[in-house]
Amino acid sequence: MEQLLILLLAVVFLQTRIMNLKNAIVCLMAQSTIIAVACFMVGMESNIGWHSFLPAILTMVFKVGVIPYALFTLVKKLTNEQELESNINANYSTAASAFFVVLSYMLIDKMLPGIGSRDIVASSLVLIMTGLALIVMRSRAIMQIVGLVTVENGIYLFGMAITEGLPIIIELGIFLDVLIAVVVLVILTKRLSLSFMTTDTNVLQKLKG
Amino acid sequence: MQQMLYIILGLPPLFAALALTKCFSNKVLHWGNRLTALIVAGAFVRMTTILAPNAVFTNGIFYLDALSMWLLFIVVSLYLAAALLSKSYLEKEATRGYLDRATTFIGKYYALFTTFVWTMFLVLVTQNLGLMWVCIEATTLVSALLVSFKHTRSALEATWKYIMVCTVGICLALLGTIILYYAQLAVLGPVKPLDWVWLKENAILLNPNLVKMAFLFMIIGYGTKIGLAPMHTWLPDAYSQAPSLISGLLSGALCACAIYVLLRNMVVIIPSVGIAFAAHILYAFAFLTVAIAVPFAIVQRDIKRLLAYSSMENIGIMVIGLAVFTTTSASAVLLHLFNHAMIKFALFFLAGTIIQEYQTSNMMRIHGMMGETPYTATFTLLGMFAILGMPPFGIFFSKFTIIMEVFKSGNYFLGSLFILLLAGVLMGVVYHFLRMLSCTSKRKALGELLTFKSMAILCIMLISTIALSTGLENFPYLRGLLSSATQIIIVGGAAL
Repeated sequence: MEQLLILLLAVVFLQTRIMNLKNAIVCLMAQSTIIAVACFMVGMESNIGWHSFLPAILTMVFKVGVIPYALFTLVKKLTNEQELESNINANYSTAASAFFVVLSYMLIDKMLPGIGSRDIVASSLVLIMTGLALIVMRSRAIMQIVGLVTVENGIYLFGMAITEGLPIIIELGIFLDVLIAVVVLVILTKRLSLSFMTTDTNVLQKLKG
Repeated sequence: MQQMLYIILGLPPLFAALALTKCFSNKVLHWGNRLTALIVAGAFVRMTTILAPNAVFTNGIFYLDALSMWLLFIVVSLYLAAALLSKSYLEKEATRGYLDRATTFIGKYYALFTTFVWTMFLVLVTQNLGLMWVCIEATTLVSALLVSFKHTRSALEATWKYIMVCTVGICLALLGTIILYYAQLAVLGPVKPLDWVWLKENAILLNPNLVKMAFLFMIIGYGTKIGLAPMHTWLPDAYSQAPSLISGLLSGALCACAIYVLLRNMVVIIPSVGIAFAAHILYAFAFLTVAIAVPFAIVQRDIKRLLAYSSMENIGIMVIGLAVFTTTSASAVLLHLFNHAMIKFALFFLAGTIIQEYQTSNMMRIHGMMGETPYTATFTLLGMFAILGMPPFGIFFSKFTIIMEVFKSGNYFLGSLFILLLAGVLMGVVYHFLRMLSCTSKRKALGELLTFKSMAILCIMLISTIALSTGLENFPYLRGLLSSATQIIIVGGAAL
């Protein structure tokens, strides 16, 4: 488990460095795969029949399969995206990510003292906070979607770690919601690129006051 | 009972699916929409005859008590009004609005509209706090497509902000729900996970520190959805860019549903944390919300954004009523939910009509409505009086009771400050509305667009708030519903 968490944190750090859209989606896939493996391992330990493996299967199907596929097809349609690349924020977000690691451990020890799966909970908090930072710091639509899925992954891992899985019907509902959210965001991104000729959300600044 | 519930939950998605198939003419769709709404309303009325005001219906998944029935009453009323008004609204939009290029928009609009209302029904009838979260998130996703329905650049911008801010906020509420489940697991074991009734009965056992943390995440999360400042940034954008009827539903029904979910969670949370902790946080958010609304309402130029800031004012009033947490204030909050929903929906519909008549939403370019469009102007004036809380309209009574309770609870300074802030919003709204109504026009209106039927519906909505607030004794069922719903909030929340 520890090796897995170290790998996960490494992927999250990498996520903050990547500016290329395709690589960002690949990185998101890697991150979701690690989450799925973690789910699988928790399922092995809890050992309550077939439905302890369902979260792992759902994560594989939705977050490693469907969502990255939708994002890839979206990226293919965008023509003048790559020239918008800039790494002006990369150092800030990596530094923030490093800060979040320290902050998460501090929060865990303060808020949930003596919790069994301390490392998993801490890394899930890192995931949540880094996802939020990605949404705030990145301006391109697809990067914000990646950030949102990262937040979702973090919350999912958090739930997995402290409760050994939510009830199955709620879990299904959450997966459905994430899927629909990404589909709606993909539709919106397409419309953005149609009517603004770009998917940079910095152009969205007309509505004020 | 069960059959009626299944009609309410089954018919709207059926109609939505049929409307999406594109094999019906617009006329059939208009009639189908009205028929669906009427049958749903009929089923709801039938439910009120079966279920006594203080009774509870439950079958493990669905759960109906007085609180959810009261909220269903609000949402069903708005659904009926919106369904009856939508034909004339859509036809006017097709001839002189933003929809003229699209031809198959009506089916899509009805499908999304009905699904949106359906997800709100689901929020109100589920028993499980986790599923409630799922349904609230679903309302965001469906209404986002409705907000972007105009396909303009600003609508797209509003939708992007709406979905990003609300989804992130709601994710935090999920975090809070998971922490609540963790607290439940620690003392109750994995029986009936997140079941509201089970949690309410055992609320006192939960670990206060964990529940406090859960509450913090939930107030941020569901507060985003309610529109509490500083998480309100999506609210004026989404309200102003959505089609007018949808703005009314967002402001009246969806906000009420989000408050409902927060209430359900509070009933579980307050026994173990104590009311003082929750009250402080709610006071702070309520004040910030009203205080931020004031300057924006005063300098506003867009009519629908002005109404959005007025919604924020009313949200602040309701949340402060919850913070006081007495029997009188809780029942006033529930009444205010109804009054605000009716009046704000009417006002958003009128704003849509004004935009169609003057082809602009900029209030600086609209003058002389009294002379050119007398009916619209009269109803706008009445709606303005109603939303600002002038007697005899319902908001006067509910708002008055809430502020009275703030003073009674000993918060004299807070109460006075709150009244000053409300006066600020009043100034903004009165100034802008009277300017539009009076003066002579520089820009000619396209003529009176309010039809007789719409006026009748607006009349009923305005009068219903008067009737319900002043003469609740004449409606024994609704009175019973209101008092039992209040009991659920207060007694359930104050088991200590």
